Amino acid sequence: MISVKNLYKDFGKLRVLSGLSLDIKRGERVVLIGPSGSGKSTLLRCLNQMEEPTYGEVWLEDSLLTAPDPYLHFDIIRASRTYQKLVAKGMSDTDCIQKIKAEDLLKKHEGKAYHSMMKTLEKENRIDINLARQRMGMVFQHFNLFANMTVMQNLTLAPIKLKNKTPAEAEAKAMELLTRIGLADKRDVYPSTLSGGQKQRIAIVRALCMEPEVLLFDEPTSALDPEMVGEVLDVMKSLADEGMTMIVVTHEMGFAREVADRVLFMDEGQIVEEAPPAELFANPQNERTKSFLSKVL
Amino acid sequence: MDFLQKTIELFTTERYVESLFSGLWMTVVISVAAAVLGLILGSVVALVTIAPKSRAIVLPKALCKVYITIIRGTPMALQLFIMAYVIFAIRGFPPVVTAILAFGINSGAYVAENIRAGILSVDKGQTEAGRALGLTGATTMLRIVIPQAIKNVLPAIGNELIALIKETSIVSMIGMYDLTMAAQVIGGGNNMASYVVPMTAAALFYLAIVYLLTFCIKLIERRLRAGDQR
Repeated sequence: MISVKNLYKDFGKLRVLSGLSLDIKRGERVVLIGPSGSGKSTLLRCLNQMEEPTYGEVWLEDSLLTAPDPYLHFDIIRASRTYQKLVAKGMSDTDCIQKIKAEDLLKKHEGKAYHSMMKTLEKENRIDINLARQRMGMVFQHFNLFANMTVMQNLTLAPIKLKNKTPAEAEAKAMELLTRIGLADKRDVYPSTLSGGQKQRIAIVRALCMEPEVLLFDEPTSALDPEMVGEVLDVMKSLADEGMTMIVVTHEMGFAREVADRVLFMDEGQIVEEAPPAELFANPQNERTKSFLSKVL
Repeated sequence: MDFLQKTIELFTTERYVESLFSGLWMTVVISVAAAVLGLILGSVVALVTIAPKSRAIVLPKALCKVYITIIRGTPMALQLFIMAYVIFAIRGFPPVVTAILAFGINSGAYVAENIRAGILSVDKGQTEAGRALGLTGATTMLRIVIPQAIKNVLPAIGNELIALIKETSIVSMIGMYDLTMAAQVIGGGNNMASYVVPMTAAALFYLAIVYLLTFCIKLIERRLRAGDQR
């Protein structure tokens, strides 16, 4: 459903993601763990383009979300003049591609033909990022409920604006979800009067009101008091039971063990190890995974 | 006793009252019109300066920067003189319009900086949450960021408007008859021959206007803070 190909993200000189690839299937629950600074959150934010990747591609089904990456499309490399010149010198196909990729020759030296090819690729596949974001909900560490709106306005703003729902329809849907998390009585209060756990549960509902196909959770419990973590995790578990596709960055190993189909351990901008939770927690293969798990478990 | 007599004289002589109130009227007209102009100009300039970088916006952005730098870097009186004696030195051009433009353009630069600061002070997470739902940048700005920014900038805008009202007193330097000028003329007249009373009266008028404005701003502020924790 989501596929990430050869993703790089640099912040200035700091490389946060280095050549990461990932495939997530519909209905899968993936948990990302790893030491801080390993790029978990950045990866999550690159999925819905809250951060623009430096290189690489992110696909949501058949739609390209990023600018197309020339190095992923060998036919583009092969059509380039640089490639032709190298072949004429007697270099083999794989060597040419290697050399062009390694020395970043395409972007610098190719002219109109290359640009028009990239344009076509972009036109055929890339979709408006706002449309894509409607399909991928996001839950933030700091909730980010709109402070100038009541809970109900928070929940209905986007559905009314973007899904052409009437206010009544949007409110009915929002009420149904609010009732489910037991906060129906909070519909007309402002977020500042809510506790952290309540805010986060409402933030989850806000994402759900857009009927997304996948939910991204960016450390949803890290800013909460310990006694409120449970209520948020319960909501997430019930979503998981319903078959929602979820990608979760978290430090809650218990949640990962219980809910995840697959746990990815990230370090230094790469996925170091991935396995079902039972396997990864019980029998980690990689040294870095072992040392990380020994510290947190 | 002299003071009391002069006060009575000031408010009973038709000529004095008329000239005091025509001065007051001029001050109010210039202040209000300049404030409206300044707020509109300031909002536009602020939005341009914070707009995301793109090729189309580079030139307007540079112009706004130059505008803010020049206006904030030169004295108001000088700007007024340039407006009156250089740019609008046309015979018969109404001086009120000159003054309104001068003060409006001056105020716009300060308002722009205030609004820019207000928009930047809204938590980045608010924008991110809006964009993550699929809302466009413009909708997010309009529905989420700006309402919160207005609340944040209101005190600063109030300050700016107060400063503007008092600053209009320098229009007398280009020969216009505002409240300050009225007080000066009355005080210097043959009969009154005392500045104390008309100056005090003018000061009280200014104070009243500013107090009224402060009161209005407080009212709006209280309204907007409905969503905050008490």
